[in-house]
Amino acid sequence: MKIRKAVITAAGDFHSRLPLQTLVDRNGEIRTALRLMLDEIVESGIEEVAIVVRPGQQEPYITAAGPHASRLVFFEQANPRGYGDAILRAADFVAGESFLHLVSDHLYLSRSDRPCARQLIEAATRYECAVSAIQPTRENEIVFFGTVGGSPMAQAEHVYEVSTVIEKPTPTVAEQKLIVAGQRAGYYLCMFGMHVLTPAVMSLLQQNLARLPEGTNLDLSSSLNQLAQTERYLALVIQGSRYNISYKYGLLLAQLAFSLSGVDRDLILTELVNLLATK
Amino acid sequence: MQRLLDIITSDQADVRNLSLEAACRSLNADALLQQCQDLDAFRRRCDNLYERVRSLFFLYSIHRFHLPVHLTSAQRESGQIPFGGYEHMLNRRYQEAIDVFLAKQTASGPSVSLSSALGEAYHRLAFQTLADQVRRSVRTVRGNQWMFRTGHPEDVPVRIRPELLAISPETGCYPVLRERTAVRMDFSHSGWSDIFFLGMDYPEGARVINASIDLAVRGRHQAPEPPIDCSLRVIDEPVLRLVSIDLDARTEIHDVNEVFDFARDYLGLLKGAVIAAGLIPPGMEGCGAKISDVFSRMLGPGLGLEITSRVNDIPKGSRLAVSTNLLGSLISLCMRATRQVSSLTGQLEESDRRIVAARAILGEWLGGSGGGWQDSGGVWPGIKLISGSPAGADDPEYGISRGRLMPQHHVFSRSEVSDKTRQLLQDSLVLVHGGMAQNVGPILEMVTEKYLLRSEKEWAARQDAISILDQITQCLKTGDIPGVGRLTNRNFFEPLQAIIPWCSNAYTERLVEECRNAYGSKFHGFWMLGGMAGGGMGFIFDPSVKREAMDRLQPRMVEVKRSMESSVPFAMDPVVYDFAINDNGTFAELRHDAAMPQGYHSLLVPDWLRKGLQQLSPMTRRELERVGNACRDTGGDHLAARLIQRILPSTSKEAKQSARLDDLLRDNGFDPIAHEQLREDLKSGRLGLAQNRLPATATIEDVVEGDVIDARGRISQSAIEAGQRALARGEVAVVTLAAGVGSRWTQGAGVVKALNPFCRMKGEWRSFLDIHFAKSRAVGQKYGMPPQHVVTSGYLTDKPLRDAVQKMNQTELRVSKGATVGLRMVPTARDLQFAWEEVAQQVLDPQKEKVRTSLRAALMNWARTSGEASDYTDNLPLQCLHPVGHWYEIPNMIRNGTLLQMINERPQLKYLMLHNIDTLGASLDPGCLGLHIESGADLSFEVICRRLDDRGGGLARVDGRVRLVEGLAMPREEDEFQLTWYNTLTTWIDLDRLLAIFDLTRETLADSKAVDAAIRNLARRLPSYITLKDVKKRWGHGQEDVFPVSQFEKLWGDMTALNDVQCAFLGVPTMRGRQLKDPAQLDGWMRDGSAAYVESLCAWGPTE
Repeated sequence: MKIRKAVITAAGDFHSRLPLQTLVDRNGEIRTALRLMLDEIVESGIEEVAIVVRPGQQEPYITAAGPHASRLVFFEQANPRGYGDAILRAADFVAGESFLHLVSDHLYLSRSDRPCARQLIEAATRYECAVSAIQPTRENEIVFFGTVGGSPMAQAEHVYEVSTVIEKPTPTVAEQKLIVAGQRAGYYLCMFGMHVLTPAVMSLLQQNLARLPEGTNLDLSSSLNQLAQTERYLALVIQGSRYNISYKYGLLLAQLAFSLSGVDRDLILTELVNLLATK
Repeated sequence: MQRLLDIITSDQADVRNLSLEAACRSLNADALLQQCQDLDAFRRRCDNLYERVRSLFFLYSIHRFHLPVHLTSAQRESGQIPFGGYEHMLNRRYQEAIDVFLAKQTASGPSVSLSSALGEAYHRLAFQTLADQVRRSVRTVRGNQWMFRTGHPEDVPVRIRPELLAISPETGCYPVLRERTAVRMDFSHSGWSDIFFLGMDYPEGARVINASIDLAVRGRHQAPEPPIDCSLRVIDEPVLRLVSIDLDARTEIHDVNEVFDFARDYLGLLKGAVIAAGLIPPGMEGCGAKISDVFSRMLGPGLGLEITSRVNDIPKGSRLAVSTNLLGSLISLCMRATRQVSSLTGQLEESDRRIVAARAILGEWLGGSGGGWQDSGGVWPGIKLISGSPAGADDPEYGISRGRLMPQHHVFSRSEVSDKTRQLLQDSLVLVHGGMAQNVGPILEMVTEKYLLRSEKEWAARQDAISILDQITQCLKTGDIPGVGRLTNRNFFEPLQAIIPWCSNAYTERLVEECRNAYGSKFHGFWMLGGMAGGGMGFIFDPSVKREAMDRLQPRMVEVKRSMESSVPFAMDPVVYDFAINDNGTFAELRHDAAMPQGYHSLLVPDWLRKGLQQLSPMTRRELERVGNACRDTGGDHLAARLIQRILPSTSKEAKQSARLDDLLRDNGFDPIAHEQLREDLKSGRLGLAQNRLPATATIEDVVEGDVIDARGRISQSAIEAGQRALARGEVAVVTLAAGVGSRWTQGAGVVKALNPFCRMKGEWRSFLDIHFAKSRAVGQKYGMPPQHVVTSGYLTDKPLRDAVQKMNQTELRVSKGATVGLRMVPTARDLQFAWEEVAQQVLDPQKEKVRTSLRAALMNWARTSGEASDYTDNLPLQCLHPVGHWYEIPNMIRNGTLLQMINERPQLKYLMLHNIDTLGASLDPGCLGLHIESGADLSFEVICRRLDDRGGGLARVDGRVRLVEGLAMPREEDEFQLTWYNTLTTWIDLDRLLAIFDLTRETLADSKAVDAAIRNLARRLPSYITLKDVKKRWGHGQEDVFPVSQFEKLWGDMTALNDVQCAFLGVPTMRGRQLKDPAQLDGWMRDGSAAYVESLCAWGPTE
């Protein structure tokens, strides 16, 4: 399995302008969020990128992508029917290949020498199946994420065989269906906003869209849950952190995380101490 | 010799199910003590919960029932119970208590007294261990655990569904989520096998069939509908508003801690639901946060929640698990609203029903109550079989208990139980509420105990009940409803009563007999619902007579109730229900028309109007406008009339009530001057609970040899003959004290304990009075001279007692009416504080303790706001009066002429035997009488060896004088524990000497002035005790509140404190002196041979 394509969804009401926000990266250079994301995936071996946007929003994305603009293909989601529908818009682009999928409102910071996307792609290539990046998350936050249940894979660190996927579960549901051996009490494996998806996922999304009642939206988690019942589907705990820039202060926290792990660490720490001392 | 340990640990079912009685039959005292030692060592080292609990029950049973027989015959009856052990027990440190008692047993040897303490400690430790396990299991059920980890508003992970935040354009309000839920009606519970402990130990025997039903009270409602109707909606104020329409209660909660204050108002159940549903998770108790902090995350800034409950007039004690299903309904509603279950509307899915049921168990535990595991059955649809299930490797109970906390539900499909059968069931069953609302708690404890002891008869009955359930299932599948009736009938009269005879009562059996007589073969059988009969019950008829039977039962039940209501504790008038099987279980709908459960607006609108429009939130103002429009346009479904009724005052019922109270006081010898003096003394602190005590300098010591005449062994022939001669000559009369109602017996229900038919003897239900008269009859038959027998009455008991005595038509029987009453008072805060904080008392389990603390805070507030030491008049007039103590009973006999009549009738009358109505074993024993005659004493008091529950004073040397000391008067509580002998109150009285004490003679008895003066003079020499009594106040449909009220009393035992009265004390066998004060004692009374002993003293007349 070779992963050379990526699909980024950016067509949500609230998310469409987030990738255009600017931050200072680890090296102290000013970049847009989209550029940071594209740097990460290109470094991980991705050659072509599809971005699903709202109609008429291609231009700013091309500008924001900087040197990666030439790799971009755009798909417009005219009558949006949810997250799953957005991914489906890129069906022709992936054309039966497995692909990397990311959401546009997340930024990733690796704790290892390999970018987060590469960790994921390597796992998918090794096990030749769909793999979702996950992160142990405390129960008070799981209502914001898709969450997986399953069991640790034998002889493999940080890899889990997925048996269940539930979108934004309550802890009540999670305790009954998503307990994973080896996790701390009250912690669950939540989606990291990054997946390697196989063509089977596209088929499931297609089937589910066809059956979807009028006026309802298609999510990804239900199709991933079906995937877990039909073929091998793994989850990998990524050595890194995700930052959801759509949250209140999400961009600020992402910026702090990047700065504190880069060349400007001392500068930022000093400024923070100054701020604390004067407030 | 069978090792009892082997019975507990054996893998073989036939050994494991051996009964303890059979195994103990051949063991003597030493062998039993050796077995106890082995069992105690085993339970200390054993990890397995149920082996540990079973050994604890074995130890309890040996100490309670088996050892005392051997120890009594070996003259090792009396011994002292260390106070330190008792203190440990009060603080629920049972393990430490057992250690103290065992150390004493090693040091001083075994005794019946010590065994009573050990038995009780083992018994409580066993139940504590079981309750702790259930609690642990409830917390560890998956889906419940997170709530105990969430301790801060920022941590609350649940969010409201967006559908509930969409304001309706028509109403301008948030939509209303309405949940309607059925209640459950059980066909059979296989011998109360839905008790958690049973299901967890014996899952294969734990099975119940129950049906979800809709109800309508006949004559009150049109057609059956789900009796529980709850609603939830978002409101535009950051508060938690809880409304209970049927309890007429509402509150707005601003602080998280207030949600955990269960007993503050009538909304404890709603609060329990809010907590158990995870809106305010149990981990947040004590966090001190504001509700608005939690809701701003869960709902949005400035928003709050309103939760409303309404139970459709179903009275308490319906045995249909109304409160558990209400809890289930509310929890389901809250969980739907926060996406914790999958469906917002419609039915619940099976996995969701299970988590709702688990949360309902949690909610019950939080509220300090408890039901069975079948009780949330109304959440499921139709008819279902609920079975215990073995714990698997994934269950938190695995390795701890054999079964899981949560059972399995199998809903019968239409192909299993056909529509025709369901219809036939509805056409055959008459469902009623008999009007009684008793506490099932003691019965459930007895069941658990008997199950763990595998008592032979009860174990066989359990197997029979299990087979009956199978047969009922079969009948349902074949459509044989008459067969169901025969089986439920057999279930009630055979296995259930063999396990617990007390699950039946005279009232129920009379109704069953009448149905059988009236309808013969068209009456198929009786159907007990829930834990015991008397409340919710069923009668199965042929469909052709069902309608007629319903019409007949309604008035007939009321008539029977009227004829028995002075002797049986009814909470309300009986009702007949119409019912229908509910095929939805719990069912929700989202309404955008802002329709609230019926009665909501008539409860809330007056509050809103009182607040003023400016103070109301915009949504509330809009709602008020809508209510106004509804009243103007359509009359608002009688809303306008209901509102007017609530808003405008009407002639107070209280005024009429107070007029009746005044009459009662006047007619019953109330002394207003003494009452005002008492009030002054209470207010100033001259009288009070603390002042009841003897001075702290008084020396209280146990009696020494020679102080007590031992009447337990052989009594001299001369004494017996002296007694026999007196009996044969008609020189003896019996005085039975029955002026009080025996509030502990019926928990303050206000019925006459003496007339309560509580046990079956010679095939009939017998009351205390029946038994006492039967003993006199036996003496009469034996000696050819029926003794005179007086029963003393009070203002509450006089008429019913007179009616009962009249029916017996015996010339020797007469009633002596009390001539004095007191008026109860609101207690002083000082006395409440003393009773609750300074007197040693039983600590409850932590959750119940919290509820009790909250309740006490509310009662303290009630006392302060109602006025300390003011007259207690806010209840039925009869509940506001109180008897003034049994010392007055003999003076009353003198004053009202009864004694004079007796003397005139039998001038040879020389002796009286006075005894309490509780003391069933008291009889005209010629030996005891002879000992009294020979002693030459004025009064001879019978005393028994103290056991642990014999609290409330005893025989002591007080500063060197031998006398009885009341528990109230003990300067230090530990003093009581030095005393070997307990006062039974049974007193042999030398009549002429007694009159001399009063400064009277037979001749001056007719002189009322002399009599009054004599009584007043003696009364002045005796202390008055202030006591707190719990009085029930009934309201609504069987709802009750209990208030502690102050009253005073003078007690007969204090006659021993008078220097000029010469007293003797007879040590009598326990069975003779034992008092029956609480229905929870009945089972032990039956099992330890006391009941058989009492029956052996009786002779039953032809009419009884």
